[in-house]
Amino acid sequence: MNFDLNLILESLPQMLAGFGITLKLLVVSGILGFILAVLLLLMRISGKFYLNWVAQVYIYVFRGTPILVQIFIVYYGLPQFEAVRESFLWPILREPTGCAILALTLNTGAYVSEILRGGVLGVDKGLLEAGSALGMSARQKFIYLTAPIATRLALPAYSNDVISLLKSTALASTITIADMTGIARTIVAETYAPYEIYTSLAIVYMIFTLGLQKLFGVIERYLGRYTRREE
Amino acid sequence: MEVLTGWWDDYLWGAVIVAKVFMASLSLMILFGLLGAGAKLSNNKLAQKIAGAYTVIFRGTPEILVILLLYFGSAIALTAIAKIFNPDVRFVDVPPFWAGTIAIALIVGSYATETFRGAFLAVKPGSIEAARALGMSTLQTFIYIRIPEMWRIALPPFGNNMLSLVKDTALISIIGLNETLFVAKQAITVTGKPFTMYIVVGLIYLGFSTLITLSVMGMEKYGNRTTVGAR
Amino acid sequence: MSDNKLKPLIKMIEVNKYFGEFQALKNINLDVHKGERIVVCGPSGSGKSTLIRCINRLEKHNKGTITIDGIELTDNVEDLDAVRREVGMVFQNFNLFPHMSIVKNLMIAQQLVRKTPKDEAREVAMHYLERVKIPEQAKKYPIQLSGGQQQRVAIARALCMKPNIILFDEPTSALDPEMINEVLDVMVDLAEEGMTMICVTHEMGFARSVADRVIFMDEGEIVEHAKPAEFFDNPKNERTKTFLKQILSH
Repeated sequence: MNFDLNLILESLPQMLAGFGITLKLLVVSGILGFILAVLLLLMRISGKFYLNWVAQVYIYVFRGTPILVQIFIVYYGLPQFEAVRESFLWPILREPTGCAILALTLNTGAYVSEILRGGVLGVDKGLLEAGSALGMSARQKFIYLTAPIATRLALPAYSNDVISLLKSTALASTITIADMTGIARTIVAETYAPYEIYTSLAIVYMIFTLGLQKLFGVIERYLGRYTRREE
Repeated sequence: MEVLTGWWDDYLWGAVIVAKVFMASLSLMILFGLLGAGAKLSNNKLAQKIAGAYTVIFRGTPEILVILLLYFGSAIALTAIAKIFNPDVRFVDVPPFWAGTIAIALIVGSYATETFRGAFLAVKPGSIEAARALGMSTLQTFIYIRIPEMWRIALPPFGNNMLSLVKDTALISIIGLNETLFVAKQAITVTGKPFTMYIVVGLIYLGFSTLITLSVMGMEKYGNRTTVGAR
Repeated sequence: MSDNKLKPLIKMIEVNKYFGEFQALKNINLDVHKGERIVVCGPSGSGKSTLIRCINRLEKHNKGTITIDGIELTDNVEDLDAVRREVGMVFQNFNLFPHMSIVKNLMIAQQLVRKTPKDEAREVAMHYLERVKIPEQAKKYPIQLSGGQQQRVAIARALCMKPNIILFDEPTSALDPEMINEVLDVMVDLAEEGMTMICVTHEMGFARSVADRVIFMDEGEIVEHAKPAEFFDNPKNERTKTFLKQILSH
């Protein structure tokens, strides 16, 4: 076998044309998933057993099944129902991109809410007692004490989850979306050169991953500035 | 539910294949994880570099790319090799079972590397020193002190590794392994009920996840019997 | 010191507290008058921390009544807010908010709870930081201070809320020996100014020189309750004698 460098140089720009879609999938479902995660977290710590129960079942189901199956259920499965096809959501669910974003959001929301919960549980109980003793309300304690400290504690695990989400966006190619992976698969089908195409794309993803890690490293250092004795 | 009549045994065989892939990839994943952790902890610079590259590559590349690359890539490689011996060979097919099994074992193995390495480093030096001070040999210390301690620490993240592994088996359907997602696709072309068929797949995976979670919980309880304080 | 014509500031009647099966407080009766300094001591697990934690309702008592300045502690949220404004607390582990600068630690509750404007809150904060003699640390984070300094900040933080009563829960137990005195000095100053204080502590020197009364607890009960001179020189109960022997034998 020989490695066709020209082919890589030719197809790399084509694949990078899908970068925008990959980025859109990552950012939109990342943000929506985070909002969902906060809602699930609030349900879990609400003290209302039925809210807690619903959130727990949700998290259990979405963490216990493959993301690919979730994507297929949303994209191929939901249109089975008349009600879905006639609902106001149909314009979104008719589009593969909308379906991919929905599935990725539902999936990452479940994982991130567990990560945030880990952060909340890691907050020193003594600090909350000090807040109570100073007369702070439950809401004030959550906003000014629990939330900022839990955010810092959860950040390393959260950055790993964002990287997982990036890798999951590649599955959008299975429902006809032309993200970077989707374009690569088309090129491979035409040229039958999997080595060149997939390896070079893998490197693109790795650079993206390293960039994300660097970004989160900066945020971690900023949020952790009060944990270091020396400035 | 009637639409499912006639498909149960297909799903059952699909589930058996999931279980087979899981068992095979689990043993490989443990092997890769131990090798990776051993290399990272060794004093050999080259081994450290290789293991470092291994984890960066497989944690930074989308799973689907690894599977596609291994499947199509090895097919081309094997075809090229076969042609040396017999120029008439047009194409050598690689069984998706093995390409997929090795791919997901490599992927999750890169996470298991960190699991094992972290557990090794988390064993408190105090108990190791105490054992040495009591006159236990290096080997005895390793077998009686380090391994049990490591196992206890590694179990929760290792449980997560196993869950990732079982969910990643779904991705192998992309290269044509006839597991449950593949069964669902066939069933859909006949019945036209995608939602129902994919939900069944989801339930099968949820069953596997539950089984793994419960056994890890059981093992954790056993492993932690010495750490529950007096009441 | 205790003027019986005045109503007590803190009144505990037959207070009982359970943690599951375990009874942490047994029939506690205690009156504390304005300006009194009470030291509570006893072996670990004797209920002394639980006692003071019940006073600002970090723990809920199960039976009996606790009244703070005429307000009975119940589940009523408004009453609880009023009581917490009146009672300050200093913890064993300081419990400073790690993500806020020292001055912010002192300002935050003033701003949120007392609705004090920011500038005024800062002035109050700096005033009390000077009183505990570390105004120069205002901009640092808690982790950059020594344990003794952190505990002085914690005392200043409690004072910023202008409480009538301060509870001390083993304020020097987590400190290195050379830092204990700087914290005790601040506490002695407070006592001299007439602050009502309840201190859980094993600092017997502090108890002897500052306290109006010393309470010895064991297994959830108040076993001995006397003026310091009597408590140290002539304890009545056997358990008190054993405890004092153990703690003073070094």
